[in-house]
Amino acid sequence: MSVEVLSVVVLLIPLAAAALTARIRHSDLAHAIGAVAMAACTVLAVVVAIDVVGRGVAVQGPHLRWLELGAFELGGFELGAGTFVDPLGAVMAVIVTALATLVLVFDAWYLRGDPLAARFPWQLCGFAFAMLAVVLADNLLMAFVGWELVGLGSYLLIGFWFHKPAASDDAEYQRNKGAGARGVIEASLSPSFAQQKAFVMNRVGDAGFLLGIGIVLVAALANGQRDPLSWSSLATLAAGGTSEALLTLAALGVFCGAIAKSAQFPLHPWLPDAMQGPTTASSIIHAATMVAAGVFLVARCEALFTTTALDVVGWIGGITCLLAAAIACVQWDLKAVLAYSTISQLGLMFVGLGAGPEAGGRAAGIAHLFTHAGFKCLLFLCAGAVIHACAGHQDLARLGGLRKRMPITAIASLLAVLAISGAPLTSGAFSKDGVLAAALAHATASGGLAYGPLVLAVIGSLLTAIYMFRWWLRLFAGDARVPDCSAHAHDPARSASVVLLVMAPFTLGLPWTFGGWLETALSGTRVPGAALAEAHHTATWIATALFVTGTLVAFVLFAPRSGLGALLARRLRAVHAACSELFWIDRIQDRVVARGLGRGLARIIARLDLGDGARITSLDGLIDGLGRGLTRIGGAGSLVHAGRLGVYVAVAAIAVTAVLFAVLAP
Amino acid sequence: MVELGPDGLTGYLVAAAVLFVAGVFAAVARRNAIGVLIGIELMLNAAALQFTAYGRIHAATGDVQGQTAGVFVVVVAAAEAVVALALLFAVYRSAHDIDLEKTRELHS
Repeated sequence: MSVEVLSVVVLLIPLAAAALTARIRHSDLAHAIGAVAMAACTVLAVVVAIDVVGRGVAVQGPHLRWLELGAFELGGFELGAGTFVDPLGAVMAVIVTALATLVLVFDAWYLRGDPLAARFPWQLCGFAFAMLAVVLADNLLMAFVGWELVGLGSYLLIGFWFHKPAASDDAEYQRNKGAGARGVIEASLSPSFAQQKAFVMNRVGDAGFLLGIGIVLVAALANGQRDPLSWSSLATLAAGGTSEALLTLAALGVFCGAIAKSAQFPLHPWLPDAMQGPTTASSIIHAATMVAAGVFLVARCEALFTTTALDVVGWIGGITCLLAAAIACVQWDLKAVLAYSTISQLGLMFVGLGAGPEAGGRAAGIAHLFTHAGFKCLLFLCAGAVIHACAGHQDLARLGGLRKRMPITAIASLLAVLAISGAPLTSGAFSKDGVLAAALAHATASGGLAYGPLVLAVIGSLLTAIYMFRWWLRLFAGDARVPDCSAHAHDPARSASVVLLVMAPFTLGLPWTFGGWLETALSGTRVPGAALAEAHHTATWIATALFVTGTLVAFVLFAPRSGLGALLARRLRAVHAACSELFWIDRIQDRVVARGLGRGLARIIARLDLGDGARITSLDGLIDGLGRGLTRIGGAGSLVHAGRLGVYVAVAAIAVTAVLFAVLAP
Repeated sequence: MVELGPDGLTGYLVAAAVLFVAGVFAAVARRNAIGVLIGIELMLNAAALQFTAYGRIHAATGDVQGQTAGVFVVVVAAAEAVVALALLFAVYRSAHDIDLEKTRELHS
């Protein structure tokens, strides 16, 4: 089969798998079917990727015309859906399908015994389909549809345990929660609330995204494009079809969607709340599907991003990177650390993308997206293994010494921690070097404010090494602090342990750098300039220094018998409090936006809609009034039509006479 | 100008007008549906009378269109009577009355 057809097959297999597994009530069977289907899909995706990356071309697959307006010769245009595979999308598709397969295998063990477990496979397969629809889309419209389906997928998975009460009423949560969990608003933390929060926050971003699509559509039509939303049309627009201000506006609209999807400041609080879902769901959301969509889309619409828009991307990424890393340093819930770490790493990717294509930013940001998908998915699966082994305990203050009881998990997660911290020779080092190099090259070229995102990213990266080693040391080093938490802890069952072992090698640099395939695939034919090569050299030293410093600091502060971490927290009480309280962003959004603005707006709308029920001062009153008025007019009219035949005849006779007089009178 | 008698026109027209007005009055004022029907017949016949009256003027030239139209009116009146009486039967069956003041509802 040709690549064109294969790309459609890759897109549709997960959908078919979702439809099939949705009917199966037996959990293990559903997981097995889902995993086999996704594995087959992975194989096909690899075939496509090898062909596309090997040839270094972009392939346009079949395209279905959905809406054709006007004749082409007369300035008409068409919208539709089809597949488009370039090296970027091909590699992403492999990562999505491969991680979905591994997560399904792990989940069959993780959720065994849960009465809702059979629901997981179809939701995950549907989620993978949605993400592939974004990745393989050949135009913005289809990408938007996939984008919304991704939102639906995350909604379903976050609310997987929809019956759970709010955290403030949940005895299990109160017993297991981290000691220092201060910024969380427990009264509004439950799976059903978290899924709505994620959905609504993404709505905010999507409003901007839609606006961006609208601008692109109008600009492309004004430019005479027949396929106004296709990727080639975007490139044509950027090549001089339209004004720079308009392009910037469209790019910022698209980025607005990405801010929400990829959990960037200030729309990030939904992601830590999304931890309410199963840990396996988190691992796929944080690695390959939901949050990756934002980064991917910005890379896909690269053509739209003018220098101004790229600066915004870089700054938002930098701020998020530092902010989330600082918060992650003081979290006590083992999943919360990982959640904020994801936000921080996504910020780092945007710093890379914001550096712009000249500085190799796009390739660097996307490379970090790929490697991050590998080690973050692994970290979450390890977290799931720990939570499963310790009967739901998630408190870093109570867990400890698990390396003896869970050696496989300990080694796998140590590799992932090394990778995310940027230890030399790991995948994280390879991609983080790239991001820092791109940011450095961009800053050197532009100077001034362009150094901002670089500095923020550097500090964020330093903190990354600190909080990730704190996480690992707390969980696996030393002895159990509260022994009964981990008394019966053991590595996951063989099938799940195999998943950890399969994923572990991808935390190393070699699979990614082998033959330089990823760099070639992402940078296309562009040969990196001498300036970038030099920046890369410097960045490697910076990244290595950051890793060494961060790791040393973490060991000094958080080694099993060191009290320095607690001492530092007491000394820097204000900073510590700010980080613990999540910089009050959650609370402010809850008070000002959700309660204040949201409820205020709702009240105004309710007033406009319902009114006081009596007068025509509201929409309801207007409709009622309209009805009443029409009834009254009808009542008056019905007097004429009383059914008196004599009256009708008289009126008819008089009318005919009058007309005749009018016509015949001389 | 006023020519009464068999050869004039005015006498026929006056007779037709009287007939027509009587028909209109019957159609408007009668409560009995049969009365209304008779009124309509009167109006039709007034029209037929006028046709033939005007036809008489042109009869010398062999043009009998007026008389032809009169015959047509008679036929139409017969057809109308058939349909109207059938309707009246239907009304009577459902309402048990043909008083037009009492049968004002479209459904009973």
